[in-house]
Amino acid sequence: MTGPAAAEAEDLAAPLYVAWQITNECNLACLHCIEESGPGKAFADELDRDQVFAVLDQLLDSEVPYLSFSGGEPMLHPHFFAMVERACERGAQLKIETNAHYLDPANAARLKALGVKAVQVSLDGASIATFGRMRVRGEFDRVLDGVRNLRDAGVPIEINFSPASFNMHEVDAVVDLAYELGAYSFYTGRTMYTGNAVKAWRHLEVTEDQYVAFFNALRRKTEEYRGRMRVYFHEAGLLEELRYRIQHPAALLIVLPNGLVKLINALPFICGDFRRDSLEQIWARFRTAWHDPRVAGFVEDLATDPGKTRTLHQWVYL
Amino acid sequence: MRLAQYVKFREEKFGGVLFETRSEKVFTLNPTATAVIREIASGDEATIATRLKDRFIGQGDAIEREVLAFVAELRQRGLIEG
Repeated sequence: MTGPAAAEAEDLAAPLYVAWQITNECNLACLHCIEESGPGKAFADELDRDQVFAVLDQLLDSEVPYLSFSGGEPMLHPHFFAMVERACERGAQLKIETNAHYLDPANAARLKALGVKAVQVSLDGASIATFGRMRVRGEFDRVLDGVRNLRDAGVPIEINFSPASFNMHEVDAVVDLAYELGAYSFYTGRTMYTGNAVKAWRHLEVTEDQYVAFFNALRRKTEEYRGRMRVYFHEAGLLEELRYRIQHPAALLIVLPNGLVKLINALPFICGDFRRDSLEQIWARFRTAWHDPRVAGFVEDLATDPGKTRTLHQWVYL
Repeated sequence: MRLAQYVKFREEKFGGVLFETRSEKVFTLNPTATAVIREIASGDEATIATRLKDRFIGQGDAIEREVLAFVAELRQRGLIEG
């Protein structure tokens, strides 16, 4: 009767998951930021209040079961809590992806009261020095306080770690810290060569040998925390992942702050615009867009030019 | 008996899907499984067992076994509770 992960996007009436980057504004200027977010980096044409709620209501009317709000820093969005309230009261499972700088006790309690599924916090080091090197303008202690506030409020916590040459040696300590802070889940993968990372790559770049040691450490941590905290990681490289996705598109839409919809974060292709198109139209175009030869062509170009990911922000409209 | 806290259900043309949003696992459902989940998702918890029995039991041994096995599988995977 059932099959895990067997639902193909082509068979579904609507997406199962919408990852919505609600603003590009951010209080931090992270070295590796895929979105090139930062202070003053909000898009000039970000959706206004009416547009935001029109999109949200379409998603909820179509019973999209799972949403995430990210950024930039989503808590800087002027209607953040109203959006959270609307999504939760209409039954969606909602995850917030935040840098935790605005998670004071009152905000953490508010997220709990509204019923968010989880809050995912980025923690790229186990020390002030390492964390601060990646999270430019970030305050390590403030992040830890924010996560503790979530824990005290009873909000489920996920910790996310982005590897770089200068923080990989702390991964065991970060996993331990995540557990101490009360996380139920720890996730990491490979840092992508795109966005801000292109300029900072000489500081960030991880060799394959380093990745082998990194993933071996994570395998040990997975076993150590089995039954207490889920430690998981995505070991595959981007090319392998995208080749799989072309054959098996996930039922996932990536929505940008201005309402444009990306096929997947790691490709430059735009398959819809919520300022103009309905969810039904976008979903139909999403499903056919995966068969567009330009998509397969871009992916196969990555085999010979992995650095092509530096162009992901040069959007291509399908 | 009810869907677990982080499990969402949606009907589709082919039947339905269950989405366990913590592990982000999706389970596809055939029409019979969808009918079972519809009962679990929308019903009064106190009477769910009776309603499942009324609906499926007596429709033949095969379907009765299938429904019982399915409910056991849902429970084993943590998709239902109570």
